[in-house]
Amino acid sequence: MPATAAWLASAEALLNRCIDSSAQALGTARRLQGTSVQIDIEGIARIRASAHQGRLVLLAGDDSAADAVISGSPAALLQLFRGGANREPGAPAAQIRGDAETANRYRELFMLARPDPEEELSRWIGDLPARRVSLFARRALELARQARRTAGENIAEYLQEEGRDLVNRTELEEFLHGVDSLRETADRIEARLVRLEQRLKGAV
Amino acid sequence: MDNSGRKVDFGFEKVAWGDKAGRVRSVFASVAGKYDVMNDLMSLGVHRLWKQFALSLTGLRPGRSALDVAGGTGDLALGMLRQVGRSGRVVLSDVNPAMLEIGRDRLLDKGWVGNVECIVADAERLPFEDDSFDCVTIGFGLRNVTDKPAALKSMHRVLKPGGQLLVLEFSTPVAPGLKPIYDAYSFKVLPLLGRLVAQDEASYRYLAESIRMHPNQETLLEMLRTAGFAQTRYHNLTGGIVAVHRGYKI
Repeated sequence: MPATAAWLASAEALLNRCIDSSAQALGTARRLQGTSVQIDIEGIARIRASAHQGRLVLLAGDDSAADAVISGSPAALLQLFRGGANREPGAPAAQIRGDAETANRYRELFMLARPDPEEELSRWIGDLPARRVSLFARRALELARQARRTAGENIAEYLQEEGRDLVNRTELEEFLHGVDSLRETADRIEARLVRLEQRLKGAV
Repeated sequence: MDNSGRKVDFGFEKVAWGDKAGRVRSVFASVAGKYDVMNDLMSLGVHRLWKQFALSLTGLRPGRSALDVAGGTGDLALGMLRQVGRSGRVVLSDVNPAMLEIGRDRLLDKGWVGNVECIVADAERLPFEDDSFDCVTIGFGLRNVTDKPAALKSMHRVLKPGGQLLVLEFSTPVAPGLKPIYDAYSFKVLPLLGRLVAQDEASYRYLAESIRMHPNQETLLEMLRTAGFAQTRYHNLTGGIVAVHRGYKI
């Protein structure tokens, strides 16, 4: 048997710790006793997850048949395991093959066993510093999101209002409305011309 | 079983089966006082990460019980005490009283009393009832045991059903190009450090030799299976210089 990567062992230990601390997750893991699911992270790894005695076992390099296969890009799998049933249009989707019920139960288990970063950090640096780091990280993340939103709005405004390289929504709607009116007018003229032609043919 | 005629490895030397335990005991009695300093020096502190990784795999929760076999100065026992908390129980055992004394003092100095026991015990014949512990660890100790299969069976016996054994031990480097560097370091630098810091070159030469004579990853994995462990796996650390083997009692 090949060695199991240390990062996979750490991920397994982390998930099992979370399963242990949630009665619902433990119940789900017990219901999955004896089943397995293969997770294909495209271009990165193929992981076999199985449940034994309420514990999740993650293995790499096991190619025996699994009850279900979940495959997709890292972003798609992350979205799936975060519980994102309503993905954004155009976002990559994960694929499920085999026993969909088992795959869905594993998805539920991963969602229930999702680690709390603040809790994990507190194991290393203590509760209070972990709380402060967590608050700082949240503020930094919010600031980054706000900065991205503001930068996007500023760039759009410059391109639309000052550079005139792009049109704004109102101008675009007016333009499209004008195109529609023009098309309707052209259609009416065409219909009138057809009627005139028919009348002239009738007179001759 | 009569082992009177049998020979066993003591580093690169072959010694009588019954002599190894005594010689290992004298090696560790000699290095006990400088053991922790030497570990930091020899591994440049990386042994702390190896032990931390092993501790992350124990799956212990508050209230559970654990046994650290050949626990020496108590690094793993201390980590497991933090995991099981005041309501749990940890037993630190070692065949060498000098090492165990240092471990016991260390745990006391850190404020752990009441739920920790320090016991001089032979890994091959652990003096505990069947199904006693949720987790058993042996860190850098198995290679010094004379009868490894007997020690693994003994650890299997004292584990509760569902309990896990973790073996943290030096192993065979698998990273390309690492072996010659590692060999040079083991046979040139380690004995020199032993001479300069611990004033004991022979003990650190034994350390390097005993690592080479220890079963490689796959062999030890098979030994775990033979001893009755299920769901056995191993994880290479630092290119295979160290490996963590694990197995469950089902």
